[in-house]
Amino acid sequence: MYNDKESQKIVDIIQNYARKHSLFILAYGTGCGAIEIPPTMTSRYDAERFGIRGAATPRQADVLLITGYLATKSLKRVIKVYEQMQDPKYVIGFGSCTINGGMYWDSYNTINVLDKYIPVDVNINGCMPRPEAVIAGFVKLQKQIQEGKADGWDKYKKNLDYYKENQKKIITNWVMPDFNW
Amino acid sequence: MSENNLHNEQKLLNLLEKKFILKGGSVRRERRVEVKVEPKEIVPVLLYAKENSGYTAFTHMSCVDWIEDGEFEVVYILWHPEEKINFFVKTRVSRDNGTLPNIDFIWRQANTYEREIREMFGIQFEGLVGREEFILEDWEHMPPMRRDFDTAKFVEKTYFYRPGREDAKDVREYVQERTDEELPDFAKKYSRD
Repeated sequence: MYNDKESQKIVDIIQNYARKHSLFILAYGTGCGAIEIPPTMTSRYDAERFGIRGAATPRQADVLLITGYLATKSLKRVIKVYEQMQDPKYVIGFGSCTINGGMYWDSYNTINVLDKYIPVDVNINGCMPRPEAVIAGFVKLQKQIQEGKADGWDKYKKNLDYYKENQKKIITNWVMPDFNW
Repeated sequence: MSENNLHNEQKLLNLLEKKFILKGGSVRRERRVEVKVEPKEIVPVLLYAKENSGYTAFTHMSCVDWIEDGEFEVVYILWHPEEKINFFVKTRVSRDNGTLPNIDFIWRQANTYEREIREMFGIQFEGLVGREEFILEDWEHMPPMRRDFDTAKFVEKTYFYRPGREDAKDVREYVQERTDEELPDFAKKYSRD
């Protein structure tokens, strides 16, 4: 029955509906943006009414928030974490640093465009984005999930060579295992 | 401010001038004394300040790149907890293969500062214990805090550039345009264009 195209569509709708209302964020803070997460989570802005809450380990999490600038040193950890997360997984680039480098665009140890290293589903602009903006970004992600368009994880698998090439350009001493699905 | 207020500051300077060969020394203002010494005088001066004059707290250690003179200036900052005086000891070493005495037997926390200066500027400290790699990971270029390290060129070569930031220019050029101020020669030499 599930091989039938029409019924698969219905299953997808139900699956996506469930997914979009239970977004678990990995508790991993990079840069200064991590300080905006506590007010987003707590009673003032209460992100849990959208089904957004924290998760302790990468394997339990759905969303990886890159909160602010990413040093080359922590890019290594981010890649490690991202590859440990289970499908489907989503990445939110948070703040201008992940979009074009922000105020650290000419720093020797921060990357400028996050999208070249791991696939980003939603970018939130601002330096720093307020909790309202964060929630707006999450709502946009939920919309994408419902429409089935948040397929960064699929892109990563299909274009693994491209992403690996970019990552290894920066991480010269690659001591991690090479993932291949 | 009357002269009498600087009594404690002047006392330290007079003592040091009697004991050591200083390249220069002054009371900059209230609670700020500064001396300039040769690298080989660093350990005696710091030990004397700690043991005999009561400058027991090692606050900070920093480095300035004087590329015009071909020298690094290393500044040791001490603090007198009772008299509340900052004491600056400055020394200069050559930019290439500069070596300084290690002072982490006087204050253990100096080890951290020395390792950072070694990594960021490339100054060697005699007998310094600790891994060569401190904050940077797998760094194989010139020490990045040197002024002749061109960050903009490095970023252009290493990282990706998203279009739309073409207006990002060297601040010094804006200053020159606005104030008609001449850029010094060294700034032109290491300018980004």
